[in-house]
Amino acid sequence: MKVSFYLNSRAVSWDCEPGETLRSALRRKGIISVRDGCDGEGSCGLCAVLLNGRLVNSCQILAPQVEGQKIFTVDWYSKDRKLSIVQRSLIDASCVQCGYCTPAVTLALHELLERSPDPDEDEIRDALSGTLCRCTGYEQFYDAAKMASKRLSDPTYQPPVGPEFKPDLRHVGKDREKVDAAALARGEKAYVEDRVDADACHLQLLMSPHAHAWIKRIDVSKALEMPGVVDIVTHENCPDSVYTTAGQGYPEPSPYDQRMFPRKVRHVGDRVAAVLAETPEQARAAIERIAVEYEVLEPVLSIADAKAPGAPIVHHGDVSYVVGEPPAGSSVKGDGRDDPILYQFPLHADPHRNLAASVADGIGDVERGFAEADVVIERTYVGTRVQCTPMEPHVVYAKVDSGRLVIHASTQVPWHLRRIVARAIGISENKVRVIKERVGGGFGAKQDIVLEDVAGYMAWKTGRPVFFRYDRAMEFMTSRTRHGMEITVKLGAKRDGTLTAMEMKVDADTGPYGQHCLTVPMNAVSKSLPLILCDNARFEVKTYYTNLSPAGAYQGYGAPKGSFALQTALAELASELGIDQLALIEKNRVRSGSRIEILRSLGEGRPGAPVTLGECGLGEMIDRGRKAFSWDKPKPESSDPDWKIGRGAVIIQQGSGLPGLDAANAELRLLTDGTLLMLSGGADLGTGLDTVTAKAAAEIMGLDMEDVTVVSGDTDTTPFDKGAYASSGTYFSGNAAVRAAEDLRDKCFRVASEILGEPVADLAIVPRGIVRGKRGEITLAKLAHMATQGEGHGDLIGMGTFKTEHAAFPYGAHFVEAAVNVRTGEVKLKRFHAYQDCGTPINPALAIGQIYGGVMKAIGHSLYEELLFDEKGAPINLGFTDYKIPSIYEVPEDFHVELVPVEDEIGPFGGKSVSEISLNSAAPAISIAIHDAVGAWCRVWPFTPERVLRAMGKL
Amino acid sequence: MVKEYFKPASVDEALELLAAQSSFALAGGTFALAFEARDKPERAVDVGGILPRTIVRKGAGLYVGAGATFQELIESPVVPDVLKDAARMMVNRNTRNRATVGGNIGANKSCSSLAPILLALGAAVEYQERGKAPATEPLANWIAEPKGLVISVLAPLEAGIQAAALRVSRTACDVATATVACAYRLNGGMITGLKLAVGGFSAHAQQRQDIAALFEGKALPAKNDAEQAVRDLLVARDDQRGSADYKKLRGAALIADALHSAKDIV
Repeated sequence: MKVSFYLNSRAVSWDCEPGETLRSALRRKGIISVRDGCDGEGSCGLCAVLLNGRLVNSCQILAPQVEGQKIFTVDWYSKDRKLSIVQRSLIDASCVQCGYCTPAVTLALHELLERSPDPDEDEIRDALSGTLCRCTGYEQFYDAAKMASKRLSDPTYQPPVGPEFKPDLRHVGKDREKVDAAALARGEKAYVEDRVDADACHLQLLMSPHAHAWIKRIDVSKALEMPGVVDIVTHENCPDSVYTTAGQGYPEPSPYDQRMFPRKVRHVGDRVAAVLAETPEQARAAIERIAVEYEVLEPVLSIADAKAPGAPIVHHGDVSYVVGEPPAGSSVKGDGRDDPILYQFPLHADPHRNLAASVADGIGDVERGFAEADVVIERTYVGTRVQCTPMEPHVVYAKVDSGRLVIHASTQVPWHLRRIVARAIGISENKVRVIKERVGGGFGAKQDIVLEDVAGYMAWKTGRPVFFRYDRAMEFMTSRTRHGMEITVKLGAKRDGTLTAMEMKVDADTGPYGQHCLTVPMNAVSKSLPLILCDNARFEVKTYYTNLSPAGAYQGYGAPKGSFALQTALAELASELGIDQLALIEKNRVRSGSRIEILRSLGEGRPGAPVTLGECGLGEMIDRGRKAFSWDKPKPESSDPDWKIGRGAVIIQQGSGLPGLDAANAELRLLTDGTLLMLSGGADLGTGLDTVTAKAAAEIMGLDMEDVTVVSGDTDTTPFDKGAYASSGTYFSGNAAVRAAEDLRDKCFRVASEILGEPVADLAIVPRGIVRGKRGEITLAKLAHMATQGEGHGDLIGMGTFKTEHAAFPYGAHFVEAAVNVRTGEVKLKRFHAYQDCGTPINPALAIGQIYGGVMKAIGHSLYEELLFDEKGAPINLGFTDYKIPSIYEVPEDFHVELVPVEDEIGPFGGKSVSEISLNSAAPAISIAIHDAVGAWCRVWPFTPERVLRAMGKL
Repeated sequence: MVKEYFKPASVDEALELLAAQSSFALAGGTFALAFEARDKPERAVDVGGILPRTIVRKGAGLYVGAGATFQELIESPVVPDVLKDAARMMVNRNTRNRATVGGNIGANKSCSSLAPILLALGAAVEYQERGKAPATEPLANWIAEPKGLVISVLAPLEAGIQAAALRVSRTACDVATATVACAYRLNGGMITGLKLAVGGFSAHAQQRQDIAALFEGKALPAKNDAEQAVRDLLVARDDQRGSADYKKLRGAALIADALHSAKDIV
């Protein structure tokens, strides 16, 4: 039917299907800025448009409903590629991270300023109430709105300059525009879904309704006859190999236990069949015609189930090892029916007893330590499953071009993706090109190869282009959650608080497959125990297979759960001893020059080594928090008898990539006009990594930011990089960029030396792009021109490689003030202060935004989020209506981030990692604050009102 | 999945169209398109253009056209604060800009933001059935036995009445776990004419005369006493928003809070 309306002030008349949503029609007609994160539930707001001046969700309007109406999209504000006041302010306030929500936020703020040119915070909150953002933590949106408001009356208004660092440098340590921010704010083509060709076919999965079942029989014959169906793949015709979906360095510390389509399904949502058809509707219709007969098995639905004698066996195939021998007593002979498991090296596993991996080690004499203690406590802490929930779900577009498989991916690990997909399909890596597009949020979920293997295979097999996008329910069912963990902490201490022994026992649930099964739970120990100095410490980690949804990487990896357990246990110990929790921390924490012996036992996939710490800023961070919260004075009193106030403080740490395991590379080219092309292997997920590499180039080459263009994460055109995980982006990819720039600078010096007739030692680069000697100078443009001519020296290209054995730890001290309702168990966060060290902040406001975002996610995990399962193992909260992530209304009243930098000697310009660490604090700090308020220890998170009431004995 | 779209010119025509199988009334679409139309319904009958959107005072009452949106309710100068509070329970502004009063009543869900306060105020609903003239009946009756298309709502706003509308949810933008509204007079410190309605404890929002009777003619009870008195009168079921025990406790606390937070509506 014909629908006529006004779009961005122009009359349009479109043919639409009666049931087509406005969002769908807009995208079909090229308005791609209307995104989708909730499949039409109306909870994410990313598809927002202005309809007759009001902000509405275009997914909840049928196209025919807008007949005669006026619609504005962000494209109106981006006319001629200009930026509106709001877009400019969002960029200047560092609100553009992954950018997937930015067009929606832009429209929300325009609507707000139209009706309220000088909005207060309540109005800003209300304006953004319908937009979910997982990256920013919302706090800087307030700055952007106020900035835009001021610019309404004074377009030249510039906000006060934020904190700056490194006064000797021009760009590093100062806020500069994120290199991709403008394009994302304008809503330009950037993401995988924007790259799909008109002739693309669509892939849909038939997923298992059972948590554990053999596929006895599958008949796709009727489905194959359905209109538009191109091909169908099942366990009967898929490649017969196993692999891991974990995007980790090779050889991976994860078992190869996943077949593209398993013979036995191991969780609700596991792959049964994939249909490729010319339209999504045709693919869905064909799915309905596939007949499957299951032999349903008893599922394993908890860690206790998994380790019970006689438990059902999740994986019962033959077990083999590439290197090393099976652990003594483990079972390796399969049942002759199940898919095999291949370990790259031993992980102390026994899969036929559902043990996917284990490790145990320690230092000192722990038994003696406990014997010497005046007080010993032992507590168990439980962390349930939480979903990464990037606003852009998993998505891929794969096609065959010139005899090669080209994969447009939303991934954190382009090179691991290439390797794993090549193996899964059975082709060599030179036949595969991966192009990382802008990523609408990753958070760890996109460190795994969740859908690229099957899409790549079907594109390669059929020669047809394949588009495959998870819907939100699939994302919840089959993406990666943080591992469920039960952590028992035992601590011994003298009366004065001196620790004599520490023990952590971690039982983890990896779900049906073993991606990250050793490293995530191990991380719960390796990022928590080293914060505390104790001569006697030991740990044990056991990870079990279950038939719940797959676990994997999630920002922070296992650290948030380990931090929750150990920091809360320390507070419980302080309570037992009758001393202040911060005093206990101060007595036992690491400090500058500490030798951290426990790291001897905590290598990640390889032997560890003790570390002598350089400078440590924890003391300064604790002092700042102590002062801001008047820690040494009585806590604030609530005027409402229903609400009690409590405070909590924790110290946290993370790493900066994986020393000795990972590596990054970059290439920097001097173009003939003196500008630069940075080819970085790094995978920018919206974190600003491309801005870090651009800054490195501009800083070292004496140029401005606009003189540098970054191309990154393309396996054909950029050099290898391990990918974006383990807090490695700035440290590894950034350092590679620094080295590429230094290499290019040195090459420029050598060429200029000959041209100017001056020794290299007399040359320096000065802004803007001039090589200056004592007697003469030459611009980089002229240098490049001369070098590339027939008689020149050839292209001036710098190469940079970074690997290291050095461990760089960022630290933080986070403080919480919470109000707890004694009648209802509800928790309100009055104050949340994060004092954090990321080394030199390369781009301070972006670093602060990362911390806000990380903390806000952790607040969600601590108070609201939990993937729930029914009694048969089916996840039941499969959308944002039921699985609640924080909106702007959940932001703490006083939310504050302060950088306390301690330079790292190896990091780029002294930089360290910043974002993951921010997730380690909220759970323990809030649980400690709850106890401080109402005297109840909450040892299971999230701390829902019901759990708080139960801890208080009121339920 | 919607396959047909109709835009009737009148309520009568809409009712004819809605009589066909797999038809559903569409206005704001925030419920109908998000949930209702995902499976079976195939014929969307767009009633947005034919329902009144007027919000006016009529005598000692408030007339709200079924086509008025939640945001229009909030922005109207004639709507009392307690109704605006209820409308603001739909925290998501994008949704408030589309969701209609008629849709919220017509969906007849237990988590309705408006139904409890309208029940507590003793509102009537005007509706029309196919082939019949518009009719009016108490909202409580209509909720128990929904019929026709909701045309408008008329809420009495009597001087001396004080009322409150409260909700609890996991996060601000969540569906309500429980909703409570009450309206009463204080005569010589005694509660009189108490009407109390709850959402979240049955399939639809409901007026609870049994609970109201506990407090009728008595002084405002202490919160703890009120909670203890009503907790076992609430029936709940376990779901992802909490156990039945928790919901009963929380609903009881909400009732106590509502009684204590009621304010003059005029």
